[in-house]
Amino acid sequence: MESRHVFTVSELNTTARTALEQGIGPVWVQGEVTDLTKAPSGHLYFTLKDETSQLSAVRFKSRTSLLAPMTIEPGTIVLAQGMLTVYEPRGRYQFIVSILQPLGAGALQRAFEQLKRKLHEEGLFSQEAKQELPPIPQTIGIITSSQGAALRDVQSVLARRWPHVRLLLFPSAVQGESAPRELRQALDRALSFSTSTEPLDVLILTRGGGSAEDLAAFNDEALARALFACPIPLISAVGHEIDFSIADFVADRRAPTPSAAAEMAVPDRSEALGFVSSTTHRMQRQLLSRWREDFDAFRLHAGVCLLRSPQRRFETYEQRLDLGLSATLRNVTSHWQRKKSLSRHWTEILRLSDPALPLTRGYSLTVRQEDGRPLRSVAGCVAGEIIETRLADGRLISRVKEVSPDES
Amino acid sequence: MNLEQNLKQLEDIAKKLESEELPLDEAITLFESGISLATSIRTALNEAKLRIETVIEQANNTFTIEPLDLDSD
Repeated sequence: MESRHVFTVSELNTTARTALEQGIGPVWVQGEVTDLTKAPSGHLYFTLKDETSQLSAVRFKSRTSLLAPMTIEPGTIVLAQGMLTVYEPRGRYQFIVSILQPLGAGALQRAFEQLKRKLHEEGLFSQEAKQELPPIPQTIGIITSSQGAALRDVQSVLARRWPHVRLLLFPSAVQGESAPRELRQALDRALSFSTSTEPLDVLILTRGGGSAEDLAAFNDEALARALFACPIPLISAVGHEIDFSIADFVADRRAPTPSAAAEMAVPDRSEALGFVSSTTHRMQRQLLSRWREDFDAFRLHAGVCLLRSPQRRFETYEQRLDLGLSATLRNVTSHWQRKKSLSRHWTEILRLSDPALPLTRGYSLTVRQEDGRPLRSVAGCVAGEIIETRLADGRLISRVKEVSPDES
Repeated sequence: MNLEQNLKQLEDIAKKLESEELPLDEAITLFESGISLATSIRTALNEAKLRIETVIEQANNTFTIEPLDLDSD
Protein backbone atom coordinates (compact mmCIF):
# COMPACT_ATOMS: atom_id res chain seq x y z
CA MET A 1 0.00 0.00 0.00
CA GLU A 2 1.30 3.36 -1.04
CA SER A 3 1.79 5.77 1.73
CA ARG A 4 -0.33 8.87 1.34
CA HIS A 5 1.19 12.37 1.31
CA VAL A 6 0.27 14.11 4.49
CA PHE A 7 0.28 17.91 4.21
CA THR A 8 1.33 20.08 7.01
CA VAL A 9 -1.16 22.90 7.67
CA SER A 10 1.30 25.40 6.26
CA GLU A 11 1.80 23.34 3.13
CA LEU A 12 -1.92 23.06 2.51
CA ASN A 13 -2.51 26.77 2.98
CA THR A 14 0.35 27.58 0.64
CA THR A 15 -1.03 25.16 -1.95
CA ALA A 16 -4.47 26.72 -1.62
CA ARG A 17 -3.01 30.21 -1.91
CA THR A 18 -1.10 29.31 -5.07
CA ALA A 19 -4.18 27.67 -6.54
CA LEU A 20 -6.28 30.77 -5.90
CA GLU A 21 -3.71 33.30 -7.05
CA GLN A 22 -2.73 31.44 -10.20
CA GLY A 23 -6.07 29.85 -10.91
CA ILE A 24 -8.15 33.03 -10.75
CA GLY A 25 -5.65 35.84 -11.20
CA PRO A 26 -6.45 39.55 -10.95
CA VAL A 27 -10.21 40.22 -11.13
CA TRP A 28 -12.72 43.00 -10.75
CA VAL A 29 -15.49 42.66 -8.21
CA GLN A 30 -18.40 44.93 -7.34
CA GLY A 31 -20.02 45.07 -3.93
CA GLU A 32 -21.13 47.16 -1.00
CA VAL A 33 -18.59 48.08 1.67
CA THR A 34 -19.39 46.99 5.21
CA ASP A 35 -17.46 46.33 8.48
CA LEU A 36 -14.91 48.94 7.57
CA THR A 37 -11.84 49.27 9.79
CA LYS A 38 -9.00 51.68 9.32
CA ALA A 39 -6.06 50.07 11.14
CA PRO A 40 -3.41 52.25 12.82
CA SER A 41 -0.97 50.83 10.28
CA GLY A 42 -2.98 52.63 7.58
CA HIS A 43 -4.33 49.44 6.04
CA LEU A 44 -8.00 49.32 5.25
CA TYR A 45 -9.96 46.20 6.22
CA PHE A 46 -13.52 45.72 5.09
CA THR A 47 -16.05 43.25 3.86
CA LEU A 48 -17.57 43.37 0.41
CA LYS A 49 -21.07 42.00 0.22
CA ASP A 50 -24.04 41.59 -2.00
CA GLU A 51 -27.50 40.25 -1.12
CA THR A 52 -26.39 36.73 -0.33
CA SER A 53 -22.65 36.56 0.12
CA GLN A 54 -19.64 38.22 1.72
CA LEU A 55 -15.94 38.57 1.00
CA SER A 56 -13.15 39.78 3.31
CA ALA A 57 -11.02 42.42 1.70
CA VAL A 58 -7.98 44.44 2.54
CA ARG A 59 -6.33 47.38 0.94
CA PHE A 60 -2.78 47.91 2.09
CA LYS A 61 -1.43 51.30 2.86
CA SER A 62 1.25 51.00 0.19
CA ARG A 63 -1.54 50.80 -2.37
CA THR A 64 -3.56 53.57 -0.79
CA SER A 65 -0.84 56.12 -1.14
CA LEU A 66 -0.72 55.57 -4.88
CA LEU A 67 -4.31 56.62 -5.30
CA ALA A 68 -6.07 59.92 -5.04
CA PRO A 69 -7.63 60.37 -1.61
CA MET A 70 -11.18 59.16 -1.55
CA THR A 71 -13.85 58.58 0.97
CA ILE A 72 -14.99 55.02 1.33
CA GLU A 73 -17.74 54.61 3.84
CA PRO A 74 -19.90 51.72 4.94
CA GLY A 75 -22.68 51.47 2.39
CA THR A 76 -20.62 52.74 -0.53
CA ILE A 77 -20.91 50.64 -3.62
CA VAL A 78 -17.42 50.06 -4.96
CA LEU A 79 -15.71 48.50 -7.90
CA ALA A 80 -12.49 46.78 -6.74
CA GLN A 81 -9.69 45.18 -8.66
CA GLY A 82 -7.46 42.73 -6.88
CA MET A 83 -6.33 39.20 -6.24
CA LEU A 84 -7.99 36.46 -4.26
CA THR A 85 -5.52 34.91 -1.87
CA VAL A 86 -5.15 33.04 1.41
CA TYR A 87 -3.93 34.70 4.57
CA GLU A 88 -1.88 31.77 5.67
CA PRO A 89 -1.39 32.50 9.42
CA ARG A 90 -5.18 32.34 9.80
CA GLY A 91 -6.05 30.05 6.92
CA ARG A 92 -8.63 32.56 5.70
CA TYR A 93 -9.05 33.62 2.18
CA GLN A 94 -9.32 37.25 1.36
CA PHE A 95 -9.32 39.72 -1.46
CA ILE A 96 -6.32 42.00 -1.74
CA VAL A 97 -7.45 45.19 -3.39
CA SER A 98 -5.19 47.14 -5.68
CA ILE A 99 -7.73 49.53 -7.29
CA LEU A 100 -10.81 50.77 -5.47
CA GLN A 101 -13.42 52.97 -7.13
CA PRO A 102 -16.58 54.19 -5.46
CA LEU A 103 -19.49 53.91 -7.90
CA GLY A 104 -20.64 57.41 -6.97
CA ALA A 105 -22.30 58.11 -10.30
CA GLY A 106 -24.15 54.84 -10.15
CA ALA A 107 -25.44 55.55 -6.66
CA LEU A 108 -26.40 59.07 -7.74
CA GLN A 109 -28.23 57.66 -10.72
CA ARG A 110 -30.20 55.25 -8.53
CA ALA A 111 -31.17 58.02 -6.13
CA PHE A 112 -32.23 60.10 -9.14
CA GLU A 113 -34.42 57.32 -10.52
CA GLN A 114 -36.00 56.72 -7.10
CA LEU A 115 -36.82 60.39 -6.58
CA LYS A 116 -38.10 60.69 -10.12
CA ARG A 117 -40.46 57.76 -9.63
CA LYS A 118 -41.66 59.09 -6.29
CA LEU A 119 -42.38 62.63 -7.53
CA HIS A 120 -43.98 61.26 -10.67
CA GLU A 121 -46.35 59.18 -8.57
CA GLU A 122 -47.17 62.24 -6.47
CA GLY A 123 -48.16 64.10 -9.64
CA LEU A 124 -45.40 66.73 -9.66
CA PHE A 125 -44.72 66.08 -13.34
CA SER A 126 -48.35 65.96 -14.46
CA GLN A 127 -49.24 67.79 -17.65
CA GLU A 128 -52.39 69.28 -16.09
CA ALA A 129 -50.27 71.16 -13.55
CA LYS A 130 -48.19 72.83 -16.27
CA GLN A 131 -48.75 76.52 -16.94
CA GLU A 132 -48.74 78.22 -20.32
CA LEU A 133 -45.96 80.67 -21.04
CA PRO A 134 -47.15 84.23 -21.73
CA PRO A 135 -46.93 85.12 -25.45
CA ILE A 136 -45.01 88.35 -24.87
CA PRO A 137 -43.29 88.69 -21.49
CA GLN A 138 -42.10 92.09 -20.30
CA THR A 139 -39.99 90.96 -17.37
CA ILE A 140 -38.08 87.69 -17.20
CA GLY A 141 -36.44 86.42 -14.02
CA ILE A 142 -33.43 84.16 -14.36
CA ILE A 143 -31.99 81.98 -11.63
CA THR A 144 -28.41 81.03 -12.42
CA SER A 145 -24.83 81.90 -11.64
CA SER A 146 -23.76 85.45 -12.46
CA GLN A 147 -20.47 84.02 -13.72
CA GLY A 148 -21.72 81.17 -15.87
CA ALA A 149 -21.97 80.75 -19.63
CA ALA A 150 -25.72 80.14 -19.30
CA LEU A 151 -26.43 83.79 -18.42
CA ARG A 152 -24.42 84.99 -21.40
CA ASP A 153 -26.17 82.57 -23.74
CA VAL A 154 -29.59 83.73 -22.56
CA GLN A 155 -28.53 87.36 -22.84
CA SER A 156 -27.29 87.06 -26.42
CA VAL A 157 -30.40 85.22 -27.62
CA LEU A 158 -32.73 87.77 -26.00
CA ALA A 159 -30.69 90.70 -27.35
CA ARG A 160 -31.00 89.35 -30.88
CA ARG A 161 -34.49 87.90 -30.78
CA TRP A 162 -36.52 90.15 -28.49
CA PRO A 163 -34.58 92.91 -26.74
CA HIS A 164 -37.83 94.56 -25.70
CA VAL A 165 -37.65 92.81 -22.35
CA ARG A 166 -36.15 93.25 -18.92
CA LEU A 167 -33.98 90.41 -17.65
CA LEU A 168 -33.59 90.23 -13.88
CA LEU A 169 -30.92 87.98 -12.41
CA PHE A 170 -31.45 86.23 -9.10
CA PRO A 171 -27.92 84.93 -8.61
CA SER A 172 -27.25 81.51 -7.10
CA ALA A 173 -24.53 78.89 -7.00
CA VAL A 174 -25.42 76.19 -9.52
CA GLN A 175 -23.11 73.44 -8.30
CA GLY A 176 -21.53 72.28 -5.10
CA GLU A 177 -22.84 71.56 -1.64
CA SER A 178 -24.62 74.86 -1.06
CA ALA A 179 -26.25 74.95 -4.50
CA PRO A 180 -29.60 73.25 -3.71
CA ARG A 181 -30.16 75.61 -0.77
CA GLU A 182 -29.03 78.67 -2.72
CA LEU A 183 -31.28 77.76 -5.64
CA ARG A 184 -34.28 77.49 -3.30
CA GLN A 185 -33.40 80.82 -1.72
CA ALA A 186 -33.06 82.47 -5.13
CA LEU A 187 -36.46 81.07 -6.08
CA ASP A 188 -37.95 82.47 -2.85
CA ARG A 189 -36.37 85.85 -3.59
CA ALA A 190 -37.77 85.84 -7.11
CA LEU A 191 -41.25 85.00 -5.86
CA SER A 192 -41.30 87.64 -3.15
CA PHE A 193 -39.83 90.19 -5.58
CA SER A 194 -42.57 89.35 -8.06
CA THR A 195 -45.26 89.79 -5.42
CA SER A 196 -43.91 92.86 -3.69
CA THR A 197 -42.00 94.85 -6.30
CA GLU A 198 -42.53 93.97 -9.94
CA PRO A 199 -44.33 90.99 -11.42
CA LEU A 200 -42.16 88.49 -13.27
CA ASP A 201 -43.86 87.05 -16.34
CA VAL A 202 -41.53 84.08 -16.75
CA LEU A 203 -38.78 82.44 -14.71
CA ILE A 204 -35.82 80.66 -16.25
CA LEU A 205 -33.85 78.22 -14.09
CA THR A 206 -30.67 77.29 -15.84
CA ARG A 207 -27.00 76.33 -15.92
CA GLY A 208 -24.61 75.13 -18.60
CA GLY A 209 -23.27 71.64 -19.09
CA GLY A 210 -21.25 69.75 -16.49
CA SER A 211 -20.67 66.38 -14.90
CA ALA A 212 -23.49 64.46 -13.27
CA GLU A 213 -22.22 65.69 -9.89
CA ASP A 214 -22.23 69.29 -11.14
CA LEU A 215 -25.85 69.02 -12.21
CA ALA A 216 -26.95 67.19 -9.07
CA ALA A 217 -28.18 70.35 -7.32
CA PHE A 218 -31.08 70.45 -9.79
CA ASN A 219 -32.19 67.00 -8.61
CA ASP A 220 -32.85 68.19 -5.08
CA GLU A 221 -36.21 67.09 -3.72
CA ALA A 222 -36.97 70.26 -1.74
CA LEU A 223 -36.11 72.35 -4.81
CA ALA A 224 -38.45 70.20 -6.90
CA ARG A 225 -41.32 70.82 -4.49
CA ALA A 226 -40.63 74.56 -4.40
CA LEU A 227 -40.58 74.66 -8.22
CA PHE A 228 -43.84 72.76 -8.37
CA ALA A 229 -45.47 75.34 -6.10
CA CYS A 230 -44.07 78.26 -8.12
CA PRO A 231 -46.97 80.33 -9.52
CA ILE A 232 -44.80 81.97 -12.21
CA PRO A 233 -44.48 80.03 -15.48
CA LEU A 234 -41.11 78.31 -15.31
CA ILE A 235 -38.63 77.10 -17.93
CA SER A 236 -35.89 74.75 -16.80
CA ALA A 237 -32.73 74.28 -18.86
CA VAL A 238 -30.06 72.30 -17.06
CA GLY A 239 -26.92 71.19 -18.87
CA HIS A 240 -26.98 69.98 -22.44
CA GLU A 241 -29.55 68.33 -24.65
CA ILE A 242 -28.81 64.88 -23.18
CA ASP A 243 -29.04 65.92 -19.53
CA PHE A 244 -32.36 65.56 -17.75
CA SER A 245 -32.84 66.88 -14.23
CA ILE A 246 -35.70 66.59 -11.77
CA ALA A 247 -36.15 70.36 -12.17
CA ASP A 248 -36.69 69.78 -15.91
CA PHE A 249 -39.55 67.39 -15.19
CA VAL A 250 -41.26 69.66 -12.66
CA ALA A 251 -40.94 72.86 -14.70
CA ASP A 252 -43.74 74.04 -16.98
CA ARG A 253 -41.38 73.72 -19.93
CA ARG A 254 -38.02 72.00 -20.34
CA ALA A 255 -35.47 73.49 -22.72
CA PRO A 256 -32.48 71.46 -23.91
CA THR A 257 -30.03 74.34 -23.44
CA PRO A 258 -29.94 77.84 -21.88
CA SER A 259 -30.15 79.41 -25.38
CA ALA A 260 -33.20 77.31 -26.20
CA ALA A 261 -34.83 78.48 -22.96
CA ALA A 262 -34.38 82.08 -24.06
CA GLU A 263 -35.89 81.31 -27.47
CA MET A 264 -38.83 79.64 -25.79
CA ALA A 265 -39.44 82.62 -23.51
CA VAL A 266 -39.86 85.35 -26.11
CA PRO A 267 -41.33 85.79 -29.59
CA ASP A 268 -39.17 86.59 -32.60
CA ARG A 269 -38.70 90.27 -33.40
CA SER A 270 -38.57 89.70 -37.17
CA GLU A 271 -41.85 87.78 -37.02
CA ALA A 272 -43.46 90.64 -35.13
CA LEU A 273 -42.19 93.13 -37.70
CA GLY A 274 -43.61 90.90 -40.43
CA PHE A 275 -46.94 90.91 -38.65
CA VAL A 276 -46.92 94.72 -38.47
CA SER A 277 -46.19 94.94 -42.20
CA SER A 278 -48.88 92.50 -43.23
CA THR A 279 -51.44 94.14 -40.95
CA THR A 280 -50.58 97.52 -42.44
CA HIS A 281 -51.22 96.07 -45.90
CA ARG A 282 -54.54 94.69 -44.77
CA MET A 283 -55.68 98.07 -43.48
CA GLN A 284 -54.54 99.77 -46.64
CA ARG A 285 -56.36 97.33 -48.91
CA GLN A 286 -59.48 97.61 -46.83
CA LEU A 287 -59.57 101.38 -46.87
CA LEU A 288 -59.09 101.50 -50.62
CA SER A 289 -61.89 99.07 -51.34
CA ARG A 290 -64.12 100.89 -48.87
CA TRP A 291 -63.46 104.13 -50.73
CA ARG A 292 -64.16 102.52 -54.12
CA GLU A 293 -67.48 101.11 -52.91
CA ASP A 294 -68.68 104.50 -51.75
CA PHE A 295 -67.53 106.16 -54.90
CA ASP A 296 -69.31 103.62 -57.13
CA ALA A 297 -72.51 104.00 -55.14
CA PHE A 298 -72.36 107.75 -55.52
CA ARG A 299 -71.76 107.56 -59.27
CA LEU A 300 -74.68 105.22 -59.75
CA HIS A 301 -77.00 107.43 -57.75
CA ALA A 302 -75.88 110.62 -59.50
CA GLY A 303 -76.27 108.96 -62.90
CA VAL A 304 -79.87 107.96 -62.24
CA CYS A 305 -80.78 111.50 -61.19
CA LEU A 306 -79.12 113.07 -64.22
CA LEU A 307 -80.89 110.75 -66.62
CA ARG A 308 -84.25 111.41 -65.14
CA SER A 309 -84.08 115.13 -64.87
CA PRO A 310 -84.57 116.00 -68.57
CA GLN A 311 -87.69 113.82 -68.63
CA ARG A 312 -89.46 116.06 -66.17
CA ARG A 313 -92.33 117.97 -67.52
CA PHE A 314 -92.38 120.81 -65.13
CA GLU A 315 -89.69 123.21 -66.00
CA THR A 316 -89.66 124.88 -62.65
CA TYR A 317 -89.18 121.55 -60.95
CA GLU A 318 -86.68 120.71 -63.58
CA GLN A 319 -84.82 123.88 -62.97
CA ARG A 320 -84.91 123.52 -59.24
CA LEU A 321 -83.78 120.02 -59.53
CA ASP A 322 -80.95 121.01 -61.84
CA LEU A 323 -79.86 123.71 -59.51
CA GLY A 324 -80.11 121.49 -56.50
CA LEU A 325 -78.33 118.69 -58.23
CA SER A 326 -75.41 120.73 -59.39
CA ALA A 327 -75.01 122.19 -55.92
CA THR A 328 -75.11 118.73 -54.47
CA LEU A 329 -72.74 117.51 -57.09
CA ARG A 330 -70.31 120.29 -56.34
CA ASN A 331 -70.47 119.59 -52.61
CA VAL A 332 -70.21 115.91 -52.95
CA THR A 333 -67.47 116.05 -55.52
CA SER A 334 -65.32 118.37 -53.52
CA HIS A 335 -65.98 116.27 -50.44
CA TRP A 336 -64.82 113.18 -52.27
CA GLN A 337 -61.85 114.90 -53.73
CA ARG A 338 -60.73 115.89 -50.26
CA LYS A 339 -61.12 112.36 -49.03
CA LYS A 340 -59.47 110.99 -52.07
CA SER A 341 -56.38 113.12 -51.70
CA LEU A 342 -56.23 112.28 -47.98
CA SER A 343 -56.43 108.65 -48.82
CA ARG A 344 -53.76 108.98 -51.50
CA HIS A 345 -51.58 110.80 -49.03
CA TRP A 346 -51.79 107.98 -46.49
CA THR A 347 -51.49 105.31 -49.11
CA GLU A 348 -48.30 106.88 -50.31
CA ILE A 349 -46.90 107.17 -46.80
CA LEU A 350 -47.76 103.56 -46.19
CA ARG A 351 -46.26 102.42 -49.42
CA LEU A 352 -43.04 104.25 -48.78
CA SER A 353 -42.78 103.19 -45.19
CA ASP A 354 -43.04 99.53 -45.94
CA PRO A 355 -39.58 97.98 -45.85
CA ALA A 356 -40.83 94.90 -47.70
CA LEU A 357 -41.81 96.82 -50.82
CA PRO A 358 -38.32 97.27 -52.29
CA LEU A 359 -37.84 93.53 -51.77
CA THR A 360 -40.63 92.74 -54.24
CA ARG A 361 -38.82 94.83 -56.84
CA GLY A 362 -35.68 92.77 -56.54
CA TYR A 363 -33.73 94.75 -53.99
CA SER A 364 -32.64 92.87 -50.91
CA LEU A 365 -31.83 93.71 -47.34
CA THR A 366 -28.74 92.25 -45.76
CA VAL A 367 -28.37 92.11 -42.03
CA ARG A 368 -25.61 90.87 -39.79
CA GLN A 369 -26.98 87.70 -38.27
CA GLU A 370 -25.22 88.34 -35.00
CA ASP A 371 -27.28 91.41 -34.09
CA GLY A 372 -29.86 91.76 -36.88
CA ARG A 373 -28.58 95.21 -37.82
CA PRO A 374 -28.75 96.14 -41.52
CA LEU A 375 -25.41 96.24 -43.32
CA ARG A 376 -24.95 99.67 -44.83
CA SER A 377 -21.29 99.38 -45.73
CA VAL A 378 -18.73 96.69 -46.32
CA ALA A 379 -16.59 98.36 -43.69
CA GLY A 380 -16.75 96.41 -40.47
CA CYS A 381 -17.76 93.27 -42.31
CA VAL A 382 -15.23 90.45 -42.13
CA ALA A 383 -14.74 87.33 -44.19
CA GLY A 384 -16.23 84.29 -42.55
CA GLU A 385 -19.01 86.25 -40.88
CA ILE A 386 -22.58 84.97 -41.20
CA ILE A 387 -25.00 87.35 -42.89
CA GLU A 388 -28.68 87.10 -43.60
CA THR A 389 -30.18 88.37 -46.85
CA ARG A 390 -33.91 89.11 -46.85
CA LEU A 391 -35.72 88.74 -50.13
CA ALA A 392 -39.40 89.17 -50.88
CA ASP A 393 -40.26 85.56 -50.15
CA GLY A 394 -37.69 84.39 -47.64
CA ARG A 395 -34.14 84.73 -46.49
CA LEU A 396 -30.71 83.44 -47.36
CA ILE A 397 -28.11 82.73 -44.71
CA SER A 398 -24.60 83.09 -46.11
CA ARG A 399 -21.03 83.21 -45.06
CA VAL A 400 -18.97 86.15 -46.30
CA LYS A 401 -16.32 84.81 -48.62
CA GLU A 402 -14.53 88.01 -49.37
CA VAL A 403 -14.89 91.70 -48.55
CA SER A 404 -14.04 93.92 -51.50
CA PRO A 405 -14.83 97.62 -51.12
CA ASP A 406 -15.41 99.70 -54.27
CA GLU A 407 -12.43 101.68 -55.42
CA SER A 408 -13.16 105.36 -55.11
CA MET B 1 -49.29 100.77 -23.10
CA ASN B 2 -46.99 97.82 -23.66
CA LEU B 3 -45.97 96.15 -26.86
CA GLU B 4 -48.31 93.23 -26.46
CA GLN B 5 -51.31 95.54 -26.05
CA ASN B 6 -50.17 97.60 -29.02
CA LEU B 7 -49.90 94.55 -31.26
CA LYS B 8 -53.30 93.39 -30.08
CA GLN B 9 -54.81 96.78 -30.80
CA LEU B 10 -53.28 96.90 -34.26
CA GLU B 11 -54.85 93.54 -35.01
CA ASP B 12 -58.20 94.77 -33.66
CA ILE B 13 -58.11 97.87 -35.86
CA ALA B 14 -57.41 95.81 -38.97
CA LYS B 15 -60.26 93.46 -38.08
CA LYS B 16 -62.65 96.31 -37.44
CA LEU B 17 -61.81 97.87 -40.79
CA GLU B 18 -62.46 94.55 -42.47
CA SER B 19 -65.61 93.53 -40.71
CA GLU B 20 -67.62 96.67 -40.06
CA GLU B 21 -69.42 98.96 -42.47
CA LEU B 22 -68.01 102.20 -41.12
CA PRO B 23 -68.71 105.61 -42.60
CA LEU B 24 -65.65 106.62 -44.62
CA ASP B 25 -64.74 109.38 -42.18
CA GLU B 26 -64.51 106.91 -39.32
CA ALA B 27 -62.71 104.38 -41.45
CA ILE B 28 -60.06 106.95 -42.29
CA THR B 29 -59.66 108.00 -38.66
CA LEU B 30 -59.30 104.37 -37.68
CA PHE B 31 -56.82 103.80 -40.47
CA GLU B 32 -54.75 106.75 -39.31
CA SER B 33 -54.57 105.46 -35.76
CA GLY B 34 -53.61 102.04 -37.12
CA ILE B 35 -50.74 103.50 -39.10
CA SER B 36 -49.39 105.51 -36.19
CA LEU B 37 -49.64 102.42 -33.98
CA ALA B 38 -47.74 100.38 -36.58
CA THR B 39 -45.04 103.04 -36.70
CA SER B 40 -44.60 103.15 -32.95
CA ILE B 41 -44.44 99.34 -32.75
CA ARG B 42 -41.78 99.28 -35.45
CA THR B 43 -39.78 101.91 -33.61
CA ALA B 44 -40.10 100.08 -30.32
CA LEU B 45 -38.98 96.80 -31.85
CA ASN B 46 -36.09 98.25 -33.76
CA GLU B 47 -34.74 100.49 -31.07
CA ALA B 48 -35.22 98.29 -28.01
CA LYS B 49 -32.13 97.38 -26.06
CA LEU B 50 -32.05 94.48 -23.63
CA ARG B 51 -31.80 95.55 -19.99
CA ILE B 52 -30.09 93.17 -17.58
CA GLU B 53 -30.09 93.78 -13.86
CA THR B 54 -29.28 91.89 -10.69
CA VAL B 55 -31.84 91.77 -7.93
CA ILE B 56 -30.39 91.84 -4.44
CA GLU B 57 -32.49 91.44 -1.32
CA GLN B 58 -31.61 93.98 1.33
CA ALA B 59 -34.05 92.90 3.98
CA ASN B 60 -37.33 91.05 3.91
CA ASN B 61 -39.14 92.16 0.77
CA THR B 62 -36.81 95.09 0.19
CA PHE B 63 -34.87 94.79 -3.00
CA THR B 64 -32.27 96.79 -4.81
CA ILE B 65 -31.80 96.42 -8.54
CA GLU B 66 -28.34 96.92 -9.95
CA PRO B 67 -27.47 97.12 -13.63
CA LEU B 68 -25.41 94.18 -14.80
CA ASP B 69 -22.89 94.65 -17.56
CA LEU B 70 -21.88 91.24 -18.81
CA ASP B 71 -19.37 92.55 -21.29
CA SER B 72 -17.16 94.31 -18.82
CA ASP B 73 -16.61 91.66 -16.20
